[in-house]
Amino acid sequence: MVFTGTETLFFLLGIITTLFILGLIKYNKQLKFNALSWALLGTGSFLCIFCIAWSVSAVLEGVPRAASMGMVVFGIPSLLMLLLGRRFAIKKSK
Amino acid sequence: MNKKNSEGSNAINRRNFLKLGAAGAAIGAVAFPAKAKEEIINKINEKTAGDFIKTHDKFPYEINEDYKPHSNKDIMFTGSFWNFHSEDEDVINSGKEFSYKTFMHFEEKKGFDQLSKAMNAGGWALHNTVSPLGSQAISGSGILKWDQYRKKEGEFIPHHDWINESQYQFGNKQEAADAIKRAARLYGADLVGITHRDKRWDYTDFVDAQAIMEGRHEDAVYGWERFPFEPKSVIVMAFEMDYEAIATAPTDIQGAGAGAEYSSMTKTAYQLSIFLKQLGYHAIPCSNDTGLSIPYAIAAGLGEGSRMGNLITYKYGPRVRLAKVYTDFDFTEYDKPIEFGAMEFCKNCMRCADACPGKAISFDKEPSFYPTHENKDNAWYNAQGIKKYYMDAKKCFHTWGEFGTDCGSCMASCPYNKPDFWHHRLVDKITAAMPGPVHDFMREMDELFGYGDVGNLEKIDVFYNPKGRSYNGH
Ligand code: SF4
Ligand code: SF4
Repeated sequence: MVFTGTETLFFLLGIITTLFILGLIKYNKQLKFNALSWALLGTGSFLCIFCIAWSVSAVLEGVPRAASMGMVVFGIPSLLMLLLGRRFAIKKSK
Repeated sequence: MNKKNSEGSNAINRRNFLKLGAAGAAIGAVAFPAKAKEEIINKINEKTAGDFIKTHDKFPYEINEDYKPHSNKDIMFTGSFWNFHSEDEDVINSGKEFSYKTFMHFEEKKGFDQLSKAMNAGGWALHNTVSPLGSQAISGSGILKWDQYRKKEGEFIPHHDWINESQYQFGNKQEAADAIKRAARLYGADLVGITHRDKRWDYTDFVDAQAIMEGRHEDAVYGWERFPFEPKSVIVMAFEMDYEAIATAPTDIQGAGAGAEYSSMTKTAYQLSIFLKQLGYHAIPCSNDTGLSIPYAIAAGLGEGSRMGNLITYKYGPRVRLAKVYTDFDFTEYDKPIEFGAMEFCKNCMRCADACPGKAISFDKEPSFYPTHENKDNAWYNAQGIKKYYMDAKKCFHTWGEFGTDCGSCMASCPYNKPDFWHHRLVDKITAAMPGPVHDFMREMDELFGYGDVGNLEKIDVFYNPKGRSYNGH
């Protein structure tokens, strides 16, 4: 293998981060986020990326329980924040 | 502290994640060429390291006036194997059990079968051949000898174990420290620190195993007058033990992990002593002998003390073995003790105390100046008068006797014992920055996330798995 598991992970995280940022910029143009939506969507995006990083790393190091716990502890709050942020943004734009 | 020399490998190394910052890491991995990334990493690390790692000018733990340096006779191994505490029957019996079971394998017991014993024997082999008594804290064993030979004119001694008549002069103290540390890492040390020789940590006397074996009991103990020079500095080295091997605690594979590093440290300490001798200075390589390795390692800035009694290093946690080289070379920059929150974390953690099969580790909330364990009135093996957690080495040794190997469950369970991986480094840094009550929560999370369980035989399968951990991808 040319790249290690971690290197591949961080390369993909770079792409995912870029997609998240582009997504936020695009939807902000459409929906004009207020401060609350920004806070929820920003934190949710960060937590979601962190959840992917944590869980994949835990699988790579051979501790699957840490991966599932990572999904519960970081993944669920991130989804809730993203959903709530989206909801506030849509509500406000109506 | 120095970095492990494999750090230049492909794996994103120990501190890089935080150096980059959480999101920056992801972007950085894509956007920057390697050289630029390294520079940014170094800059951010310089800025953040000081916030998490404090240094002390003096030894960081309080010492009472009645503290007395430890006698070599009062080390558990000399007390037991060499009969210095024959009145303590349990200690004598534990030693016998331990020695006897070391050579036996139990096919029905995973981790203690012939394969595991063979792994263990191979790990210890070099140590057992070239410095067999070093781990038992007996000085001058094999290549750890105290000889300071001066070569005669025209004499040909190809191994270079003699003191060069010409003394090399370094340009400045930093250059000297850098060269010594580079040599130590080249020869195999993972962490290196240099500290002043401190009589508080030296044994007051030395056990002469040869005299005991020859029946000369009147010569069984000798003093510092036999030490061939006045030491000024002690170079302390830490050797990382294999994570997967230690995780199998308390089995013979864990013992193999320990033994492999005893072998490495014997070799490295000897090589470093030759380096110093060839620079024209006196040097004596040591394993567990001649002085207490843990306070010397703390003084040399390699890590902090802990509840379990072992040194906790910033990089490898407690998963290290320690070696020392005494020398009269003193034109060098000395390291300072460091603090990154381990002792503070110990106050709330107690995972090692929970995991210890021998119930040898204290559950006291605060450290104390004297032992508080049930054998405290006859704790000849504890160096008393220092504010720390007192481990009951007698109970620990009893457990070693039961297993026939050196247990290691405390190290395996410790939240500071993690493989070299970014998310553990992140948690370490967060832990160091958080106040005490959060440590309770961090400890619980560590357990919930599935780290540090001991006595789990699946860890043996992980140890043998040819794919191993795939984080380094090779
Ligand atoms: S080595 Fe084992 S018995 Fe000894 S203190 Fe550690 S866990 Fe307890
Ligand atoms: S397991 Fe916890 S209490 Fe024990 S040494 Fe490690 S951090 Fe300290």
